[in-house]
Amino acid sequence: MQLSRTKSTAKNMTHKKPLSAYLKQNYDMYLILLPGLLFILIFNILPMYGILIAFKDYSMFAVEGSPFLSVLASPWAGLKHFQKIMGETGFLYAFRNTMVISVLKIVCIFPVPIIFAILLNEVKSNAYQKGLQTIVYLPHFLSWAVVSGIFVSLLGSTGSVNHLLEAMGFGKVSFLMDNNIFRWVLVFSDGWKEVGWSSIIYFAAIAGLDQECYEAALVDGANRFQQIWYITIPGLMPTIILMLILRVGSIMDAGFGQILVMYNPTVYETADIIGTYVYRVSMGQLNFSTGTAVGLFNSLISLTLVVSTNAIAKKWSGKSIW
Amino acid sequence: MAKQKKFEIFPIINIIILSLFGVITLYPCLNVVAKAFSSQGYVISGQVYLLPKDFQLDTIKYVLTQPEFLNAFKISVVVTIFGTLFAMLLTVLTAYPLSKPSLRGRKFFLGIFVFIMLFNAGMVPNYILYRSLHLTNTIWALIFSGAFSVFNLFIVKNYYESLPETVEEAARIDGASNLVTLFRIVLPMSMPVIATVTLFYGVGYWNNYFAGVMYITDPSLKSLQQYLYDLITLAMNTTDTSGNAIMDAESVANVTGEVVRCATIVVSTVPILVLYPFLQKYFVKGVTIGSVKG
Repeated sequence: MQLSRTKSTAKNMTHKKPLSAYLKQNYDMYLILLPGLLFILIFNILPMYGILIAFKDYSMFAVEGSPFLSVLASPWAGLKHFQKIMGETGFLYAFRNTMVISVLKIVCIFPVPIIFAILLNEVKSNAYQKGLQTIVYLPHFLSWAVVSGIFVSLLGSTGSVNHLLEAMGFGKVSFLMDNNIFRWVLVFSDGWKEVGWSSIIYFAAIAGLDQECYEAALVDGANRFQQIWYITIPGLMPTIILMLILRVGSIMDAGFGQILVMYNPTVYETADIIGTYVYRVSMGQLNFSTGTAVGLFNSLISLTLVVSTNAIAKKWSGKSIW
Repeated sequence: MAKQKKFEIFPIINIIILSLFGVITLYPCLNVVAKAFSSQGYVISGQVYLLPKDFQLDTIKYVLTQPEFLNAFKISVVVTIFGTLFAMLLTVLTAYPLSKPSLRGRKFFLGIFVFIMLFNAGMVPNYILYRSLHLTNTIWALIFSGAFSVFNLFIVKNYYESLPETVEEAARIDGASNLVTLFRIVLPMSMPVIATVTLFYGVGYWNNYFAGVMYITDPSLKSLQQYLYDLITLAMNTTDTSGNAIMDAESVANVTGEVVRCATIVVSTVPILVLYPFLQKYFVKGVTIGSVKG
């Protein structure tokens, strides 16, 4: 997460030249900016016109050979698609699952990197610290396709986990096809991939704490637990709260890249999220208008959430994501 | 005395808990590697844990001689190299004007970039655009859809802002244009952030499977990650209608599948592992560059 302090104070320093003089000297600044602007104009701004599809009965072939012009040529449908999805069980499941999976992930995963960073900081051996960091950062660099492959192989009916469970007399568990268990597989594999990586920011924050506090505490006879409880945790609080606020802002993304490559039709009921629902409705059933409507609904909620949580973070700590 | 004892026990418990993190992280990886080198009989009966049983190299050899796999590997290498170059060029250029507080219209331009970071048109509008531009089933779809992350743009912009202004001023007094200043003065001073962001893009391209799933149906253009995606989802969807009862029958039918899947996963992760020492160094730096900026 990139955090930059707001610096409204530094802004008044630029003394303004007349525009013509400025442009004469700096016209090439705009030439340097041009490729980037053109790129996002084509690939980010232009598609926004396609959002109209949500309010139309879109047919890709309304204008021969041009899906783009077909957007305009398709007949208007008003809010029909929005009304339709509100009664669709598939959509309601997806909406509920997005919330449930996100909340489970926040509750179960969010505290772990904090605990990990605190414990790792207590280790005296530098080599052990470095070695363990090298191990736990690794999964962050694997793609979801790879991680999914690893977990499917580990937890499948022929995986070693089931072999062990059977050997211990518990019988096989169908981790990937049980509607109650699969969510926990999602939570666990997400934690497995990102916990180590997320601990970096807390580890850096602990390193930045005032060492004199610890020395003073030591003189006063505080033990390790007291040092952690009264110095480390309060010192980490600003970082923890900031990260939590920002994490809550992205609650609408329950892990699209992860779920699309891990789930299967047996667990749609509890694992299908809005992103995967949009993908199946649009690219599978070719129901483009419905897919766009659901996507727009999702984007608007998540835009509102990100903007408001970021505003809270900014107010609270003077830091923000942009 | 009791207190004294507790004091000494803590480091031991701590090491045990932490080592557990390490074991949990490593075990799934080592398990897949072990399976890739084991014979099928042991793999499908679930008996392979940490070490290969009945060691064999045939599956790895089989994977490495699959034309589809080799082609997918090649596509991934090409997309990663050219995509990263393209994305880096756009990023280092665009970040420069945006890093100058004196740029007229800076707030407006920054606003556009923040907006596109927060609001995406969505899957279908993007798909329609790519189709209309005849980019679907071309390698350009893979390159363009991963290019230019606003997040990376802001990391580079923030880094430029932290550089001392005086050197650039001197160059400008000598009559250098902004473009020359950027390439001769600013970029050489920005090597740490350039290394970091290059790796961000590189790993992003290498690991992206969704662009392929969205825009590529031509088998000869599938990237490695899309190849893996097909392999994994195919494996799961052969079981989907059957449910628990037929699971065992399925695993018998998938005898060859399981070992081949593991071997494919292992081989496709090798490039990441080779680069991992660099990745770790510069990625960690990237996290700090992004967050320490004040």
